[in-house]
Amino acid sequence: MARIGVFICHCGENIGSTVDCAAVAKAAGELPGVVHSVDYKYMCSDPGQSMIKDAIRTQKLTGVVVGACSPRMHEPTFRRACNEAGLNPFLCEMANLREHCSWVHEKLPDTTAKAIDLVRILVEKVKRNKPLSSIKVPVTKRALVLGGGIAGIQAALDIAGAGHEVVLVERSPSIGGHMAQLSETFPTLDCSQCILTPRMVEVAQHPNITLYTYSELESLEGFIGNFKATIRKRARGVDEKLCTGCGVCTQKCPNKKIPSEFNEHLGTRPAIYVPFPQAVPNKPVIDRDRCTYYSKGKCQVCAKMCPTKAIRYDQEDELITIDIGAVVAATGFTIKGTDFFPEYGYGQYPNVITGLQFERLASASGPTLGVIRRPSDNEIPENVVFIACAGSRDSAKRLSYCSKICCMYTAKHAMLYKHKVHEGRAHVFYMDIRAGGKMYDEFVRRAIEEDQVNYIRGRVSRVFERNGKMIVKGVDTLLNGQSIEIEADLVVLATAMTAQPDAEATAQRMKISYDADHFLSEAHPKLRPVEMNTAGIFVAGACQAPKDIPETVAQASAAASKVVGLFSRSELAREPVVATVNRTAPPLFSTCVGCFLCETACPYQAIERDDIRGRDGQLIRQVAKVNQGVCQGCGTCVALCRSKAIDLQGFTNEQVFAELLAV
Amino acid sequence: MEQLQQMARELLERQQVQVIIGYEAGSEANRRRAVFVRRAEDVSRLIFDDACRQNLATYLLKPEVLVLGKIGMVVRRNTLRSLMQYAVENQLADERVIAIGIGEEGGPRLLPNFAAVEEYLAQLPRGPSAAEKAELKKMEQLVMEQRWAFWREEFDRCIKCYACRAACPLCYCNRCITEVNQPQWIPVASDALGNLEWNVIRAMHLAGRCIGCGSCADACPQGIRIDLLNGLLAREAQQQFAAEPGYGQRKDYALAVFKPDDKEEFIR
Repeated sequence: MARIGVFICHCGENIGSTVDCAAVAKAAGELPGVVHSVDYKYMCSDPGQSMIKDAIRTQKLTGVVVGACSPRMHEPTFRRACNEAGLNPFLCEMANLREHCSWVHEKLPDTTAKAIDLVRILVEKVKRNKPLSSIKVPVTKRALVLGGGIAGIQAALDIAGAGHEVVLVERSPSIGGHMAQLSETFPTLDCSQCILTPRMVEVAQHPNITLYTYSELESLEGFIGNFKATIRKRARGVDEKLCTGCGVCTQKCPNKKIPSEFNEHLGTRPAIYVPFPQAVPNKPVIDRDRCTYYSKGKCQVCAKMCPTKAIRYDQEDELITIDIGAVVAATGFTIKGTDFFPEYGYGQYPNVITGLQFERLASASGPTLGVIRRPSDNEIPENVVFIACAGSRDSAKRLSYCSKICCMYTAKHAMLYKHKVHEGRAHVFYMDIRAGGKMYDEFVRRAIEEDQVNYIRGRVSRVFERNGKMIVKGVDTLLNGQSIEIEADLVVLATAMTAQPDAEATAQRMKISYDADHFLSEAHPKLRPVEMNTAGIFVAGACQAPKDIPETVAQASAAASKVVGLFSRSELAREPVVATVNRTAPPLFSTCVGCFLCETACPYQAIERDDIRGRDGQLIRQVAKVNQGVCQGCGTCVALCRSKAIDLQGFTNEQVFAELLAV
Repeated sequence: MEQLQQMARELLERQQVQVIIGYEAGSEANRRRAVFVRRAEDVSRLIFDDACRQNLATYLLKPEVLVLGKIGMVVRRNTLRSLMQYAVENQLADERVIAIGIGEEGGPRLLPNFAAVEEYLAQLPRGPSAAEKAELKKMEQLVMEQRWAFWREEFDRCIKCYACRAACPLCYCNRCITEVNQPQWIPVASDALGNLEWNVIRAMHLAGRCIGCGSCADACPQGIRIDLLNGLLAREAQQQFAAEPGYGQRKDYALAVFKPDDKEEFIR
């Protein structure tokens, strides 16, 4: 006979203020099979857990239902408590009275009635629960870090520093990411390259880090501790072992007029190039789309000039498959270009630039060697207008979020300009100034007070040309909404930070979740900020949401510590929620008919073929079998199986059916 | 017909097959029934005409038939499609059957393996016949309530004899879901709910797999238009997922295969 204990949690006010918890506990107590039913303010607290443990011991419970929050939140807590009291943890179930009831309904008698329904459903289920034991799986102690920006670099260095192998994959020819493009960094104005490049070199030299640049993740299969990653190492056209990075090829390449991606198209580069002088690795790549040899079949100047004969025109992409235990996604961000803004000239005015382009103008290694010159005629601008929130916080542009860093870098840009052009005038149009952070507000005040940047609270409606001059037409909301026009030599748009254009495809390839803006979704916004919902995959940096360098580095180190924590164990215990194919007595052996349509339906390739043989070794039948290490318990095969030969442990047909009948 | 008998005789005499499964005259003038010919002298019993409608593929998976040895089978287009679907669903080994293709497309011709069947099917016209199309169209023109009323009336007549299941080449499960009783997904009784659940679940199990032979409706003693129900689902599977079961050996069951590039933009 079932002896079920029901424990109703108030979750403070969360459930208690909407649902009559005492009434739920009383009603549950009258259900057949329930021998113990109580309610308590905080069931997850120590006294709450003790109530459960005591009841298991004294009442000899055979199953436990906790009516509380989402099982995502506290199922492990309550199952652990049951285990400590000697009850198999999988005989404990949670009825979600918070997300499924109190949070989504008014305080009405019906709400309490629904809570009672939810508890009754789980009571019927738990009566049919069977004791299960965790599945042990080994852990491959090697991490894959995707993306070689500051987030990926930091995560890779931390994991490698703890003594584990790291494979760092970067799709551009060099690591460094956006941080390598920046001039100085707020709020200290220290040089970005000066603090970043030593880290880049450290990555290249670290014995535990294998670096693949100009490479991309082709596919990721498997599960926590046991992923299989396939990496496409794109053909550089250069033998990396022979190349010494002398740079002769890039100097001699006759095709030098290609807009430089690193300089945000403000400078040029040759067809065989290293993106910037401090690149890691300092080995060039051939841009096959622009190289004369690939288009016309002639040239080969680089091959002739190369002192070590390292040029390989016929090099092909290489596919590398590696066993991986954990993944850190640090795939970064991009920004909207000036062409996204019809009101600011659709990218047609050369002197309307993005913040990232301004970084290149201000950078000592940039196309103007750090002198602020406007792109149209290389003159030093006397009037510069900075427009904050270009795209961000604008639901009409489908970018309702704040890009978070623009307030700070706009203040920095204005400041840098004033430091370089003392007589110049800098104007900033802003909506609000969001400068939360250590020394951040002080930094903005410094721009306004010490460097006399003209901050105007208001939006810019248009940027247009009049008599060869660019006019910025905006409004000053602190002057009663007075319309103002400023003649500008240069306009800098703090354009919105967005997810990478292929972020969705990357997320799907890794089977991780993402939000409507295609930023990766963490497992819990507060309590699990660096984990993905897919176990074993972690996140760092601006691929998750707009963030600045300190935050990115902190998150990268956090993700690394999660990986190191995972690698501290040689075995993982996995929930035994996996599918099983039944076995019966001969001559049937299983009710599976062996059609293997489940094989194609399984997203994890967990279905295997099991040969049933007689004593003479003769094949009798072939039926399906589930690889429990690979199965993720999604239940797709269960739904598909016509004869119900497959069942899901912990969510069996019998359990689900009983739940339905209890509604 | 003589050609057919000659072909069967040669197969048996050369011991290329141990049995020929075909059609013979039935108890009434316009009825035909299956015949198992094991001796060359009996091939004169084999006949073929438009009245030979039964899908003989159903016999191929029976254990008592499998022990007979290698099989020759007189097959129409729909039976050939059943063979292909058996190949896809891992039910029949290649070269287990020598098919003797025959029908309005001509024949008889020998099709010794799946590759030959696939090649032959590729040349035949696809999709429902003009008459079938007209019927499907008529159903689709009914509004939801009318359609519901139509099927309720149809299923009301069901007596749960499971003749449809016995006649269907693709109802080959060892344990049919209707016999699963822990839990009892389909109510046992032959009442409105029990009949509805049985017929709907069976139709779902055939969606994307049914090759449209119509044996189910032929077998139904109550004259329920099961073929129409399956035809509507087949049409749905064809239009939504480009599913054309029984024409190839590729495993692309519409309900199981997921294509990452096949994005359903409307659910975003």
